Amino acid sequence: MRAAGFLALMAAMALAAWLGWWTLPAVGLLWGLLRPGVAHPVLWASVAAVGAWGFWLGVNLIAGQGGLGRIGERLAAILGVPLPGLLAGTLLLAALLAGSAAAVGYQMAGWMRRPPARPPI
Amino acid sequence: MRSPRLRLFIAAVLQGALLFVCVRGAGPLPPLGSFLSPATGVWSLARSAEFPRRSEARLPGLSAAVEVVYDDRGVPHVFAATEEDAWRAQGYLLARDRLFQMELQTRSPAGTLSELLGARALEADRATRRRGFRWAAERNFGALDSTNLFFRAARAYADGVNAWIDALEPADLPLEYRLLDARPARWEPVNSYYFYLNMSYVLGWFESSLSNLETRALVGAAAADALFPVHSPVQEPIQPNGTDRPRYDFATLPPPGLPDSAALIAIGYHRELDLALAPHRRSEHGVVGSNNWAVAPSRSASGHALLAGDPHLELSLPSVWYEIHLQVAGGPEVTGATFGGSPGVIIGVNREVAWSLTNTGADVRDLYRETVDDSTRPSRYWLDGGWKPLELREEVVLGRNGETLAVDTVRFTHRGPLIQIRDRASWLSFRWTPFDARSTGEEFLRLNRARDHADWLEGWKDFIGPAQNGIVADRAGTIAIRSTGRFPVRPEGGRGDVIRDGTRTSSDWTGFLPVAGYPFAENPAQGFLASANQQPVDPRVNPAYFGSDWPSPWRAMRINQLLRADSAVTPDAMRRFQTDPGSSRAAAFVPHFVAADTSPAARLLAAWDSRYTFESPAPVLFDAAMAELNSLVWDELIPSRAGNTADTGEPSRPVANPDDVVLLQLMADSASLWWDDRRTAPVERRDAILRRALARGYDRITRRYGALASGPDGSSWRWEQVHHANIWHLLRIRGLSALDLPVQGGSSTLSPSPGSGTHGASWRMVAELAPEVRAAVTYPGGQSGNPASARYDDRLPRWLAGELDSVLFPVRPEDLPPARIRSRLTLAPAEFR
Repeated sequence: MRAAGFLALMAAMALAAWLGWWTLPAVGLLWGLLRPGVAHPVLWASVAAVGAWGFWLGVNLIAGQGGLGRIGERLAAILGVPLPGLLAGTLLLAALLAGSAAAVGYQMAGWMRRPPARPPI
Repeated sequence: MRSPRLRLFIAAVLQGALLFVCVRGAGPLPPLGSFLSPATGVWSLARSAEFPRRSEARLPGLSAAVEVVYDDRGVPHVFAATEEDAWRAQGYLLARDRLFQMELQTRSPAGTLSELLGARALEADRATRRRGFRWAAERNFGALDSTNLFFRAARAYADGVNAWIDALEPADLPLEYRLLDARPARWEPVNSYYFYLNMSYVLGWFESSLSNLETRALVGAAAADALFPVHSPVQEPIQPNGTDRPRYDFATLPPPGLPDSAALIAIGYHRELDLALAPHRRSEHGVVGSNNWAVAPSRSASGHALLAGDPHLELSLPSVWYEIHLQVAGGPEVTGATFGGSPGVIIGVNREVAWSLTNTGADVRDLYRETVDDSTRPSRYWLDGGWKPLELREEVVLGRNGETLAVDTVRFTHRGPLIQIRDRASWLSFRWTPFDARSTGEEFLRLNRARDHADWLEGWKDFIGPAQNGIVADRAGTIAIRSTGRFPVRPEGGRGDVIRDGTRTSSDWTGFLPVAGYPFAENPAQGFLASANQQPVDPRVNPAYFGSDWPSPWRAMRINQLLRADSAVTPDAMRRFQTDPGSSRAAAFVPHFVAADTSPAARLLAAWDSRYTFESPAPVLFDAAMAELNSLVWDELIPSRAGNTADTGEPSRPVANPDDVVLLQLMADSASLWWDDRRTAPVERRDAILRRALARGYDRITRRYGALASGPDGSSWRWEQVHHANIWHLLRIRGLSALDLPVQGGSSTLSPSPGSGTHGASWRMVAELAPEVRAAVTYPGGQSGNPASARYDDRLPRWLAGELDSVLFPVRPEDLPPARIRSRLTLAPAEFR
C-alpha cells in the first residue's frame, strides 16, 4: 500500500473522529467495502485507526499542558489499571473497531461480487 | 479459516460486540466509544484543563462586554458594567469550572437526583420531597416578582450558566457526566433557591431534643436535663459578658434516676422521623465547627482592624467554595468565596468591609403531634375544635429516561410538612424557619455592597436562617458580631426541644425575636470578638431561648486565650491561629488523668503540652483515653439489651454522649454515682475510672499501632500517622479524591478534624482593613472541577500547611501584574436564542 493512501485513510479517520467515535467503524467498513487494491486491508485499517486516535492523544498531550497525564492517572486509579495499559487499551479499541469493520466490509464486498450459484439442473 | 462466510461471521460478531460495549457500556463502565474517544471523549478533558491565553464568548442579556482575567491562582476577576452583568458572567464562569457540582448540589434539595443517578437515588429523592423542599421552593421562590433583588440575580445567573451549557464543546463536558453517561440539564433560576435550602439543611436541620429524650428514657428527667442542659456549663459566649475568662457554672449532677416511659414513646417518634426525612444524612455534630474572630485597631500591630474566618463543612472535591472577584462600575467591588449556584460573594471583603460567618446552631425546627381524620390517608387535621383541610401535593419522581419511579402524596398543615410515624399510625408536622424564606440570598447580595459595618449589619438583619454568627470589620476600625436569623418565640416562653400538641394554634410560635434581641456586640472593651459555634449569649445577660445542648466552647476558649495574650496581633498571627494545635479540652482534662495515675501512660500525658502537633504521640493516647472515659462514665446511658459485650468484647455505645463540659463538671464530684461502672461489682469512684480509661486507651492503641517508640522514627503513635483528612469526590470516587492527608489538630482544636477526617476548614481567610483592604485565603481543593486540570486540587498542599495566598483585588484589568495573568476571556453581549 502506498504511503499516501495510508495517510489519506488515517487523515479521514482522524477528521471523522471529531464527529464521534462511531465514525471509526464507519470509515473502516467503507474502506473494506471499497476494497482498494491493497494487500492486508484489515491490517491497514487497524493501523490507520491507531494512528488517527494516536494523533488526537497527541493533540491532547500538547494542548493539555500536562492535563493528559493527570486525567490518565485519575482514570487509571478509577478503573484500577496502570496508565500505560489504559492508553494501550484505548488504541486497541480503535484498532479493533476499525479492523473488524474493515473485515466485515471486505468479506461482504467479496461475497456480493461472487457470481450467484447456478441452480442444479 | 478458509470459508469467507465464517470469516464474515467472526468479523461481524466481533464488530457487534465492540459496538455493544461502545454504545451501551459494560457493567459499571460507561459506553466505551464516546468515553474513550480521544477526540471527544474523556481524554479530550486534557484540552480543556487549562484555559486559553485569550478567548471570547457571547453571553445573552449582557448590557455591555464583560472582561474576565484569570490570575495564576485560577481566580477570575470580573470587570462588569452592571451588577446583573456581573451575575451573568458569574453563572457562566462557575459553570465553566464547576458545572457537574452545581447540578448535583441543586438536584439533591430539589429531589431530582434520580433523573441523573437513576433509581439508586430514589429513596433520597422521596425523603427530600417529604421534607417539603419542592413545596417550599414553589411557594417561596415562585412568589418573587421580577423586581426582587434575589430573583433578578438568580435569573441573570441562570442565563450565564445556560450560555455555557449551550456552547458546550465536547471537550468541556465534565468527567462525571461521562462516567454517568448523562448530559447537563438546563439551569433554572430556582436552582439558586434550592442551593440555599441545601445549605439550610446542612446547617440547620438539628433535633436537639433527641439526646435529652433518649437519656430521659433511661435515667429520668432530672438527670437528662443536667446531662443535656439548655445552657452551657462553661460560659464563654460570643457576645462578651464582661469577664476576661470563661465562667464555670458547675453544679452537682443529680444521680441517675428511674426511666421515664413517656420519653420512650417520643424516642420512637424521633427515630422514625429521622428515618423518614433524612435517611442518608451523615452527621458528626460536635466534632466539627467554624470559627471567626476580629481584632480592633487598638490590639493590632498595624493599628488597623483585622478579621479571620474559617467556616467548617464536609470537605469535598471539587470544594464547596469557589473564589471570585466581582468588580462592578459604581457597584459592588467584592472578592471572596461563593458557592456554585449562589450569585455574589458569601464570605469575603470589599473595598470597605470584611466579613465571615459561623453557624449559630439555633433551634429553629419544632415538632407537633397532629390529630388527623384518617390514620393512613388523611385529608384533614384537627385544629381549635374543628377539621381543617390538609394541603395535598403529588410528588412524582422520575428516572434517568423520564420514566416514573414513584408517586407520593405529601401533606401539609399550616405549619409545614406532615409525616406519618408508621408503626404508631400517628402523624407529626414540623415547622422550620428556612421554609419562611421568600428570597434568602438577597441578604448576601446586600453584604457585597456594604460601605461600612453599620451598612453591613443593616443589610443582613432580615436574614431568616438558619441563623449565622456574622462578624464584620470595616476600614474605620469598627468590629461587630451579630447572630442573625429568625429565632422563634414559643408559647409561654417555652423551649423548642419538646413535641407540642398540634390540635391548638396556641401551640404555634407566637412570633420571632426582634433584631434588637439578637446576640450582638460592637467594639467591645476587650478589643476583639470571636465565635466558634458556642452558646451565643450568656443567659445572665439575655435569657431568651436560642437552643440547647450547645457544643463545648473549647475552640472559643482557645481563640480568646490566644487573642487575650497578644496585644499586637498581626495578620500572620491570625493565620497561625487558624491551625493552632492547642487544645483547651486537653488542658482541662489532662491534669485529672495525671493526678489520678502514675503509670507510663500518665507520665506521657503529663509531659504533653496539650498540642495536637504532627509528631506528638500524646494526642493519640489522650483521644483514646477520652473515648474510654466517656464509655465508662456514661454506662448508664447504654441500653441494657445492647449492653451485652460478650460477642465483640467492645463496649456498646451510649444512646447519647453528654458533652465534655458536663464530664468536666463531674470531675469536681469524685464520689458521684455517675463514676460507678454498673457493669462491674465494685462501686468505683472518679480516680479508679480515670486510671481504667487511661489503661484501656493505652492498651487499645498499643494493639492497633504497636508499642510506643517502636516505629522507624522513634514513635509509631505520631499524630500525623494516625489522624488524617479525607476529602472525597462528590460521587465518592476514590480515584478523584484526596485521602489520608496528615493534618495538625484534632477534635476541639481551632481546626477541628473528626475521626473520619471528612470535615474541616472549608475556607480560610484573613483580612486587614488597612486604607487598601488586604486579604489572604485558601481552601482545600482548587478552582477547577476538571480532574485533568492542575487547578483541581492545587491548593491542598498550602491548606494542609496552614498557609494562605494573598488575594489580588485590582480596580481595573490593567492593575493586575502581567506576570500573574494566565488567561483572558471577553464576554460579549448577544441576543437570546
